[in-house]
This record gives sequence, C-alpha cells and structure tokens, in this order.
Amino acid sequence: MSGSGVRAAAGWVLRTLGRALTVVVVTATVVFLALRLAGGDPVEAVLGGPGSQAGPEAVAAARAQYGLDLPLWQQYLVQLRNVLTLDLGDSYARRVPVSDLLTAQLPATAVLALTSLALAWVIALAVAVLATTARGRLGRAAARVLRGGELVASVLPHFWLGAVLIVVFASTLHWFPATSTPGSPASLVLPTVTLAVPLAGFLGQLVRDSLEEAESAPFATTARARGASPTRVLGRHTLRHAVLPAVSLSGWAFGSLLSGAVVVEVLFGRPGLGRLLVDATLVRDVPVVVGAVVVVALAYVVLTVVVEALELALDPRRRAGDALVAAA
Amino acid sequence: MRRALRGFTPGAWVALAVVVVMLVMVVAPGLIAPGDPTAIAPREAFEPPSLAHPFGTDESGRDVWTRVVHGAVSSLGVGLQATVIGVALAMVLGFAAGLGPRWLDAGIARVVEVLYALPTMVLALLLVTVRGPGLAASVLAVGLATAPGYARILRSRVRGVATSGYVAAARLDGLAPARVLTRHIAPNALWPLVAVLTLGIGQAVVWVAGLSFLGLGALPPSPEWGAMLNAGRVYLTTAWWLTVGPGLAITVTAAALTALGRAFGRVGVA
Amino acid sequence: MRRPALLPLTATLASAALLLAACSGTAGDDASGAPDASGDAGAATPSAGGTLVYASGDAEPTCLDPHVGGNYPQALLASQFLEPLVGRDADGTITPWLATEWTTSDDGLTWDFTLAERTFTDGTAFDAEAVKANVEHLKDPATGSSTGYLALAKVDSVEVVDAQHARFHLSEPDAALLESLSQPWTAMESPTGIARGTDANCLAPVGTGPFVVTGSTPQQQVDLVRNDDYVRPDGTAEPALLDGITWRFLPDAATRYAALISGEVQVIDNPQPDTIAAADADSSLGVEHIDAPRPGSVNRIELNSGQAPFDDLAVREAFIRAADPEPGIETLFAGVTERSFSPLASVEPLAYSDPDLFTTDVEAANALLDQAGWTTRDADGVRTKDGNRLTVRMPVSTNQSVAAEQSLFEQIQANVAGVGFELVLEPMDLGAWYTALGNKEYEAVSAPYTKVGPDVLRILYHSDGTVPAPSGYFANHAFVRDAELDAWLDEAASTQDDDRRAELVQQAQQRVLEGFYILPLYDQQNHFLVRGATGVDVLHTVSTPTFVDASLTS
Repeated sequence: MSGSGVRAAAGWVLRTLGRALTVVVVTATVVFLALRLAGGDPVEAVLGGPGSQAGPEAVAAARAQYGLDLPLWQQYLVQLRNVLTLDLGDSYARRVPVSDLLTAQLPATAVLALTSLALAWVIALAVAVLATTARGRLGRAAARVLRGGELVASVLPHFWLGAVLIVVFASTLHWFPATSTPGSPASLVLPTVTLAVPLAGFLGQLVRDSLEEAESAPFATTARARGASPTRVLGRHTLRHAVLPAVSLSGWAFGSLLSGAVVVEVLFGRPGLGRLLVDATLVRDVPVVVGAVVVVALAYVVLTVVVEALELALDPRRRAGDALVAAA
Repeated sequence: MRRALRGFTPGAWVALAVVVVMLVMVVAPGLIAPGDPTAIAPREAFEPPSLAHPFGTDESGRDVWTRVVHGAVSSLGVGLQATVIGVALAMVLGFAAGLGPRWLDAGIARVVEVLYALPTMVLALLLVTVRGPGLAASVLAVGLATAPGYARILRSRVRGVATSGYVAAARLDGLAPARVLTRHIAPNALWPLVAVLTLGIGQAVVWVAGLSFLGLGALPPSPEWGAMLNAGRVYLTTAWWLTVGPGLAITVTAAALTALGRAFGRVGVA
Repeated sequence: MRRPALLPLTATLASAALLLAACSGTAGDDASGAPDASGDAGAATPSAGGTLVYASGDAEPTCLDPHVGGNYPQALLASQFLEPLVGRDADGTITPWLATEWTTSDDGLTWDFTLAERTFTDGTAFDAEAVKANVEHLKDPATGSSTGYLALAKVDSVEVVDAQHARFHLSEPDAALLESLSQPWTAMESPTGIARGTDANCLAPVGTGPFVVTGSTPQQQVDLVRNDDYVRPDGTAEPALLDGITWRFLPDAATRYAALISGEVQVIDNPQPDTIAAADADSSLGVEHIDAPRPGSVNRIELNSGQAPFDDLAVREAFIRAADPEPGIETLFAGVTERSFSPLASVEPLAYSDPDLFTTDVEAANALLDQAGWTTRDADGVRTKDGNRLTVRMPVSTNQSVAAEQSLFEQIQANVAGVGFELVLEPMDLGAWYTALGNKEYEAVSAPYTKVGPDVLRILYHSDGTVPAPSGYFANHAFVRDAELDAWLDEAASTQDDDRRAELVQQAQQRVLEGFYILPLYDQQNHFLVRGATGVDVLHTVSTPTFVDASLTS
C-alpha cells in the first residue's frame, strides 16, 4: 500500500472515531439532562423506587454513596467521565455495574433485531421478485395482492400485530409460545415475526420500486438482448441494483427495529435493552439509561460504517468513483 | 397538478378517495356519526357489532364507530403536526448543510447522526419524562425522529441542484444568492418532499399509535386511534371487536396516505 | 465494582451474528425431572416434584431483600423464602410462626418473644441474636429501608435474653406491633447473609422459608429451589412438594393470560377482570381463580382537602354524589369484586361501612355546588367561581392502575362533568406521579396502600401524614387535618385494650367517611389464576401466595 493509502486509511479511522465520540457524548448529555430535568428523585431508585418513605439518614447515606449529593454539574461531569473512560458506573436500583447489566441484556436484543432484519429482507426480496417477475393475468393479479399486502404490512402497529399473533398462535392454536424461555428458539418466532412484518412491508416497497426501474433500464435490456435468462439478469444485474436504496436506509431500519424492540420486549416479556430502558426510565436510574442509550448510539455508528462498506461493495459505480479519487 | 393526476393508477385514485373521506371526518365528523364520542353507558359495555353499533361498544359502553370518526381530528392532526415539525427542522438542517460551508455541513451531519442514533421510542420516553403526559411529547418525538431522514434527502437534492448547470448560469447572470435560492434551488429541491410528506404523515400516525402502548399517548377520554387500539388490545380475548374499528382506521389511513405519497413520488420523478 | 466494560460490549455488537447460532444451541435445563427420592412425606403423592412457573405482572424487584425499600413485588417473592416472626389467619388473629409465644408488659413498652428452633438455609441458627440483627438491619439508614423501617418505628432495641428469648424494648406502646411483624417486609433473614453486604444480599437473601433463591436473570426470572430441611410453622419437618419455582416477570396482562392458557406458566397474578370472569364462566379452561384482596386500605379516590376547590366540604360531597362508579364497577370488573363503602379493606375485621353516604344524587350535587358559590358555567359547561374553573386534576399512575380502573376513572370523569366538574385525568409513570403528589399538583388521586391491620388509618388520615418524608412523599393525600381524629388514631395505636381499639377505629372511619375525604371504590384487587397446578394457597398477612403445598397436575 502506498503512503497516501495509509494516510487515507488513518484519516478514515480518525474520522470514524471522531464520529463515534461525538454521537456518544451528545446522546449521553441529552439523556442525562432529560432525566434530571424530569420530575422524580434518582435517590429513590436506590431506596426501593419512587414513593420511598425512608428516613432522612437513609436518604443522605444513599445520596452520598452514589454521588447524588454533589452539585448537578459535577454529577454530569462524573457521568461523562464514566462514559468516556468506558466505565458506566453502577445502577442505582439494581446495585450492579451497568456494564454487567448491558452485556447481559444486549445479546437478547441483538438476536431479536438481527433475526427480524434477516426475516424482513427475505420476505421483502421474495415478494419483490415474485411481484416483478409475475407473468400472465393470474400472475399480475397475484402481484397486485402482494403489493397491497406490502402496503398494509408497512403500517401495522407492532403492539397490535403482536397481540393478535399471541391470541392466534399461542392461546388458540398452541403453535408457538407467547413468552420467552431462555434457550428456546421457538419462543423467538412470534416476536421476530412481529418485528419483521412491518419492516418487510417497508423494505419490500423500496426494493420493488427500484427493481421495476432496473428491469426496464438499458443495461437489463442489453443483457436480455445478449441472451441472458431472466433469472440470470435478476441475479447478476438488477437485484443488486435494486437493494441499494434499501441498504442505504439501514440507519432508519435500525432505529425502527430498536423502537419496535422496546414494544416487543415488553409485550412478549423478553429480556433486552428496550425493556431495560423503559424500566430504568420509570425509576430514573440515570446510569442505566445513559449506558443503554450510549450502547445503542455506538451500535448505530458501527452499523453505518458497515453499511457504507456494503454500499461500496454493491455499487460498482461508486467503487469506480472512489478508485478515481484514490488515483487522483 | 392536472399532469400529476394523469399519472395516477387506479390504486392511487382509491387512496385519494379514502383520504377525502378522512378529511370529511376531520372537518365535519357529526355528518358521518352524529353521536357524542365521550357519552358513556356502562350498562351497554362490550356489545358486539350490530346495526346500531357497527364496530360494537367499548368497555364504557361508548359507540366505537362514533369514536373512530371523531378521533380522526386528533389522530390525523398528530400525524400532520409531527411531520410538519420533522420537515421544518429538516429544511433548516438540509438547506444549511447543502448550501453552507463544509464545516457546517459536517456539523449538521453529526446532528443528523445523533437524531438517527436515538430511536423514536427512546426519544419519546425521554420527552414524556420531561414534558409530562399527553400527545405533545409523542408528536415532538416522532417529529424529531423523522427529521434526519428528510434532512438527508433535502441536503443531497440541494447540493445537486446548487451545483447544476442552470443554477450556475443564474449565478453568472448576476442573480442575488437569495433569489437563486427561492427561484431555482428551493422549488426543485422541495418537490420530492411532497411525496415524502404524505408518506410521512401515514407513518407518523402509526408511530404515535405505537407510543400509546407505553402509556405515552393521548389523554383520556380522547378518541385518538392509537389510544383506542391499545385500550381495546387488552380485551382481545374477550371482546376482539374493540380493536377492529381503530385498527382499520389506522391501517387504512396510513396505507392510503402512503400509496398517495408514492403516487406523487412517481409523478414527481417522471 | 467499577470496571471498563465497553470493550466486551462492542465485541458483543460486532459478533452479534454469532449469537444467532448460539441462541438455538443451548436447551434450557429440564427442571421437571424425577421427583426427589428422599422426600419421604411427598413420596406418597404421585404428582410431587417438578418446577412450577409463576408469571408476575408486578415490577421486577431490583433488590430481593424486602428490608431494602419494601414494596409489594418484593413481598410476593420474599414470602417464598423468608418467614416472619408471626403469622395471621383469615379472621385477622395473629398466629405463631418463627415466634411461638409472646407476652407484653403492663405498660406496653416491653415485649418478650419465645423463638422456635429453626436453621437458616445457609446453616446459620435462627436465635435471639438473629432477631436482634434483623431489627438493627431494618433500622440502619445504610439499609435504605422504607416500609419495614416505618413498621418498626416504635421499636427502640432488641435485647438477647438467651438463645430462644428475645425482648423488644419500645419507645411507646404499639398496638400494631404484631401486625407489623407479620409482614414480609420485616421477615427474618440470616445474619450471615446480611453480613455479606447489601449488594450480595439483594441478589439472594437467605431465610428459613420453603424455597431458596439460587439465581436470577434480570428481566427474565428468579430461580427458587425447594428447601429440603423446611420446618413448617407448627414445627413439623415437611418440605414443599415442588422441586422449585421459576418466578418470571411478564409485564403485559394479556400475554400473561395467553401464557397461562397455552400452558407455558401455571400461575399468574394481576389478571384482567374480563379474563377472570371468562375463566370462572368456562370450566373447560381448567383455570382455578384465587381471590385474595389485600389488607389495609381499600382502593379509593382521595380528594385533596388541603387546597381549593376540595377544601370545601360541600364541593367534596358534590363530587362524590355525582361520581356514580357503581355501574362501571359492575361491568368493568365483571363481578369479580364488589363496591366498597369503607376506608378499610373487606378482609379487615374492623372495617366499617356506610353505604348511605355514597348514594348517587345528581340533583343534590348541583344544589351543593350552587350553595358553595360555583354558580356560573363557561362555554364547556364547566362551573366557575370568581373566574376560576371547577377543575380537578387527577394524576393516574399507569403502573399501578390496571386498564379497568383507568376506564372507571374515565366514566367518573363523564359523570362528574354532568354537574360541572372538569376532571382532568393525567396518566403518568410512577416517578412523575409521586413527584406530582409531592408537589401537591392534584385535587384527586387514587393511591393504593397495603399494610396489615387498621393501623393503616393512622398512616393515611393522621395529620402527621401530611408532613413529607425526605423524598417528598406523604401518605395523607386527602390532607385530613382533624385534631380529634388524630387523638383517636393515636390512642388506637397505643391502647392495650382490644375493645377500646375497635371502638376508636370505628369512630375514626366514620369521621373520614362523613368528611367526604374519600370515595371508596373496591378492595385492592389481588387475584391469582392457576392452571396445571393445585394446592396454591394465600397467606393472610399481605395476601401473597404460598406454594408449600402446591403440586403440578399435568
């Protein structure tokens, strides 16, 4: 690798680190301020939750133990230092290190989000391909139904869909459990479907739009003229082109999945970051909320970096463009 | 506009019809459902759908149909407000980033990233703890959460238009920068937003409904659809019909708005 | 305890894909294995053994030690592994438990307890030293106790007479001492366990109960296994039939019911009234319903008499006369509970009711408001007086009020609107709710309060209860300040004469009802649905379930 290449790589690493740092500091600040401006005294989280009737000595002792007797700006600096030194402090309510809590809760949410994302992509691609390649009157009618289905799926509220799935598949048909059991893949089915269906509807519309566009684009016509089979055109050329806009929207999909995870984790009684956030916000457990949001923000940064790389890999034009820039 | 409507598919016409009906519900709900949406009749609670009550009655004996019709104002209102907040913020961010100096662009990119990194639900939770109960926090949260998406679209459009040949020509003609902005850049950059906006209102209605699950929704006894859907959800095993009315209202409205937005988008691209 | 930990976190993020594979790998350990062969008493029952799954809708306790803080979710769990000094039967009579006998001095300042011979599950002996350590733990500010600390407020110290005899020294006579000691929040823990420090003790407190905490997964479950050496309150050594209990946290009521019907769990708490009614009506579902209202206070709406407009007795009466909650209670609660007309729960033997005070009378309500000067109405139909609207703010805790209760409040909102009240329901989370109460930003509120015995009246309606705790919390939300009532409640709390106590308690309740400070609704709802298990019972202290005789049926 040439010297300029190393410099460019180093610059990229520095920029990415800078991005991560900004996002983490700003989100931590926003969360800290929001929770401390809100009503409710965090010291009560230490003393068994809001509405504590603990005596004055107990309140003073708890304040001192968690540094809640310091002026607010000092508490903020402590919180910020904790975040920046990769130490998230102790939970007020649960009395364990926040990092332990998060490492325990993160896998559940990650598994749920990733399986849902995968399922959503499978559904979206399958429906898009079916709808675009459908031939004949019956095929076109089916395609129309699929399109309508996508549209409706994309606007289904998670909590309603989940509730209906529970009533149908858990309490009536007994096919899948309604609640989470550690180590049971079956208990992942209903929450995953709940999260995946609306996302699939959304991704599907995007993919189908650009697939239809690509199928009628000159390069596809040329390929077909050269005798390539429709499947080959699809696999080799147009599909790759079609998924790009949806991949670019991964940041949006990430936020949507996490917001959905908050609902799904509460509804299905699953452990996870989303439910942790809700519970910790209720009792003003500031270190837990800040820690969880910072982890979510970091995950987002990691994801965008991955997506940028993916876009580069999927889009030959950009690769060529970057090569030109590098060559200049 | 005429040209725009010619590009409409039959589906888009259906969507348009649905939206018009919804608008009638907003402007004159009494025309469609003359009853009082908050009048209770506890002894007539949980009645299944009938001719008198097409969507049945709820846990307090209120007519679900009347509530759905009268709920259109607040439900569509929150969708519209959230989208307006999102688009307004996005316009500030998008134009500043697209036309401003490099450092401003980079700074705004960070702001957008932070907004993306805070999921809607988390934002709403935080806002409710600060602002107290009611729809205001949900509207603000959904507005803030949708702003980065719009801002990104706007920024790239503004950038694209600003560096295009005809804008350069206008500049060479000696047109003042403000005039270039209002005359050439803004109209061309904003057109795709019309499509995104209709799409966005539909999505915002769904988001606000989702927030009511966490108790972050409308204040009782408002017949807001999300609040109704969540209130009905807990009776799903014993009175399934409670969610049918508000559920249909949300999905049909959001789907119609989305379809309409996509139709506008296609026309805009064409 | 601090350690850098974002590195493993980011590593987890990066390798999240691997977790997909991992999640399907490990199968949950099969807890429903063979029955314990050594269980001599249980061996006769074919269904002995197995692990029962309990799904709780209450918040997950952040600390399992009920001495820390002290709320109901902690009490539910603690009842499985801790035992109190005394118990209480269905009639409200105090019964022996870890203490076999007790005597009081004539001045009521000294109590002698004779202790049963027991061993904590960590091998530590239960003796007078242990009792002393527990009381000191509860009174130590570093413990951060709220409920237990209040319950033992009058206990000065515990003297160790000998291993089996503990002597309590009180600062003033306490008629409620035994009731206080029967609660899970003052239950006995192993001193060795307490000595580990709050952090360790919170994760797995050690008691003498039928089950032992073996571990917990945050936001998922607490694991309990049988205490094979369990000795029952009557002194017989007879362990529970079950191998253990998996105590799960399922916040959503509809999901909890679905899990019960699909056989994922055997017991659920906080079921919705409509599902209770459905289960009661359809025997083919095979669901057993246990109705166990909580002791202490009834669920009621308290009217804040400390500020306008409810500082006026006539306005309070008008509100109560117009509220008409009865039709709503009948339909929303589907016959699973009854309207109450008392400040005390129906399970309290000294509860006093006066239905006549609460008959609905819209005309009378309008007349009362007219007389009170609220004569004009604005465009919304809300009464006004000197330019002020007749607005009643009511913060509603979405964590404490179930769906049916929130619907009932909506109906009351519609009913009182008829006579010109603007009742503003403000749903909020628990933290914001307590803040609103602390700042007196309410004219009406419904706040549950669970405590064994009529002494709860002193906490809720004595003027001392208007003085906030350091957290801002005060229990007397109705802001009742009545010197005569104070005197009765004080005397009731210290008298040694049971008849005199009963008389005072009745007088006090009458005064609270006639002052229209509260609108009683119904008992604090506490129901359990059981399917696939039998023998589940309820303790008559704070109505927590016990599984000591429970077994699985399928």
